Amino acid sequence: MTNTVSLCNLSELPRNGALGFDPFNEGRDTVFVVDTIHGPVAYRDLCPHYGSTSLPWRKNAYLNSAADKIICAAHGAEFQINTGVCVSGPCVGQSLTPVPIKIAEDGFILASIHQ
Amino acid sequence: MNIIGPDLLVFGVDDVAACTQYVTDYGLIAKGGGRFEALDGTGLQILSKDDPSLPTELETSASLRKTVYGVADQKTLDAIDVELCKDRTVKHLDDGSLEAVDDLGFTLGFQVSVRTLLSLPSEVINAPGSPAQRGINNVGVQKEASPMPRSLSHVVYFVPDFAKAEAFYRDRLGFVTTDRFIGVGPFMRPAGTDDHHTLFFIQTPPHMQGLEHFTFHMGGPTEVMQAGTNMVNKGYQSFWGPGRHLFGSNWFWYFKSPFGCNMEYDADMDLHDANWVARDAPPGADNSQAFLLEHREKWAPMGPPPGKGPPAGKGPPAGKGPPAGKGPPADKEPPADKEPPAGKPKS
Repeated sequence: MTNTVSLCNLSELPRNGALGFDPFNEGRDTVFVVDTIHGPVAYRDLCPHYGSTSLPWRKNAYLNSAADKIICAAHGAEFQINTGVCVSGPCVGQSLTPVPIKIAEDGFILASIHQ
Repeated sequence: MNIIGPDLLVFGVDDVAACTQYVTDYGLIAKGGGRFEALDGTGLQILSKDDPSLPTELETSASLRKTVYGVADQKTLDAIDVELCKDRTVKHLDDGSLEAVDDLGFTLGFQVSVRTLLSLPSEVINAPGSPAQRGINNVGVQKEASPMPRSLSHVVYFVPDFAKAEAFYRDRLGFVTTDRFIGVGPFMRPAGTDDHHTLFFIQTPPHMQGLEHFTFHMGGPTEVMQAGTNMVNKGYQSFWGPGRHLFGSNWFWYFKSPFGCNMEYDADMDLHDANWVARDAPPGADNSQAFLLEHREKWAPMGPPPGKGPPAGKGPPAGKGPPAGKGPPADKEPPADKEPPAGKPKS
């Protein structure tokens, strides 16, 4: 089943930063959104290395210090922000699972998430 | 070779400030210059990844740049020098330590160990049938505690050829294999310690070579639980645990870290001597742990004051509470998904 959920308003997304969300109240973040110059992109918070573990070492810590790569803190995988492709680390060549999003007129980020 | 175990791990990291905060919250003591120590003086050195003093990084850009082993005495150091000089460069550093590269490409250091002999009680328990370990009127646990890591326990490397790694540490440095996961790699202890392992290898493709995790010994399982709970409460995210391993019997709790590898707390590891016969087992979840638990927010089976809260029986079932990783205090979100108190049946 695919649900459309409102994650946050664009204005709440830190510039060149990332936010994690728990849209279905599972007790942990399962989706994250990264701000880019081309607009926000969203992925499931699952590292393809094991396929069942989340990425950050603390809440919202999805990016490296230069904020130009998504990182998994477990084993150092690095992903391109725009494509989600792992370019370094254990799952190189594999990709994060993208989450389709659109921006509503009121600025809220709406995500279509398969549950 | 009377090698005791790892004295120091030297890291070149992307975010020094984040790693510094992390190890401080983990419980290590800042000693200046990016050095952080456990109670016995073993510890970590955190430098920026482009610091010129660091040894060359692996081709995989792993953040671990050097593993410094503590040895019993100068005689052992000299013996290592003679052995490794046979086929590789051994640098003599200004601090008296040696530096060489192992057969897999990991930079190693060797020094007369800096670790101090600790004299601290371990966690003690009382059980029927056994003389009391914790005497009359001694309370076993405190509501709040900040247990401190006691000693650098072990490192686990991702390696492209565990047999080659095992042969180097066995034949050149006198490590002993205590147990092994078939097709994955051996657990090894150096001759100068009884600990089940200070080193474990995990076979991976070459592009993964690096550090899988590092671990410090705690004073007992309760300290693992309380230190881990403190980490969760500070917003750090659990990776695996708490639970108890089978090989080594150590209690564990792993957390992701800004080092790009996992960090573990462990306690109560098995000790072995030359009489021990190494076991082997297929890898996998069943053979990795005796049990695996998961953190949840504190909860108790009691209802709200009379007249408040949900009606009896409306609380969600036990086990549905939110697990680890609710965000650091600075940006902790409102507990929108916080479990309401469970309804208490009226008596």
